[in-house]
Amino acid sequence: MASKGEKHSPLEQFEIIPFSNTELGGYDISFTNSSLSMIITVAVITLFLTLTVNPRSLVPSRMQLVSELMYNFIAQLLSDTVGDNGKKYFPFVFSLFMFVLIGNMVGMVPYQFTFTSHIIVTFALAAIVFIGTTILGFANHGIKFFSFFYIPGVPFYMHPLLIPIEVISYLSRPISLSVRLFANMLAGHTLLKVFAGFVVAMPFFTGVFPLVFIVALTGLEILIAFLQAYVFAILTCLYINDAYHLH
Amino acid sequence: MDKDDKLKDLKDRIQTAETINTPQPSNKKNSGAGFGFKISTEIIAALVVGVGIGLIVDKYLGTKPFGLIIFFIFGALAGFLNVYRVMRRIEKQ
Repeated sequence: MASKGEKHSPLEQFEIIPFSNTELGGYDISFTNSSLSMIITVAVITLFLTLTVNPRSLVPSRMQLVSELMYNFIAQLLSDTVGDNGKKYFPFVFSLFMFVLIGNMVGMVPYQFTFTSHIIVTFALAAIVFIGTTILGFANHGIKFFSFFYIPGVPFYMHPLLIPIEVISYLSRPISLSVRLFANMLAGHTLLKVFAGFVVAMPFFTGVFPLVFIVALTGLEILIAFLQAYVFAILTCLYINDAYHLH
Repeated sequence: MDKDDKLKDLKDRIQTAETINTPQPSNKKNSGAGFGFKISTEIIAALVVGVGIGLIVDKYLGTKPFGLIIFFIFGALAGFLNVYRVMRRIEKQ
């Protein structure tokens, strides 16, 4: 347990609290606050999309328009980056985008846990994208997919140097993808908590200033939450595109 | 007011509204911090992979410092390559 001084640490919000102690085959599969947050996210997405699109009116209501806007946003993204081949991957990219976006937004609700601030969650998502696109590349090109690492038009003696660099660059994709999302959320939420601490700690009425700053920062955090979901989706599209077009 | 006048008035109003609402080509696309963050994650990710491969090679081939040294350099170079690609993608937009 944390001692009394550490109780209001800005990092306390990232603590995983298990609600049950379940174990399966030696692995801890307890239901935690992180799992609860994910279930809330999925429930919010499902309810929002089904309820708003349910009337299927030709002249959409505002809420239906929001759903259609999200649909169009990802459909446009896919057709811009991948082209005609992209249509097949719409469900995947859309689910990924909505999961990250609503996950970030649910995390913005006070007292709510942000599961995207844990690297294991974002890394799992990035690993799914990475393994998926690699399998896709091999399915499309077979063994020729390895020519992805071979840069044409370079003197032959440069290849022993360039191929390892290309391979490392390719392998670094899931790490940069996951670290970007995780670090943005972690940094943003920690910053919010640190300034919230100033509100209480500062003397007299001066606590108002950090409070004003928090309000502005919350707006910025919502922007970042959207932007990071967008970056995650667009990079997924680019990786799918790479699986189709080598170079 | 005459019907033509009304139409002309509407046309003018639409035009002014259009000029106001057309998005100006903005050059504040990238905030400095976000841009720096993007670049640094690319370098760090490539270095992590490079060092990881180096350590694994050392462990299984017993080439102690050399695998780490060589793959660290490869990782750094891959990081620069990633940054170069990100920059090129941004410039294209």
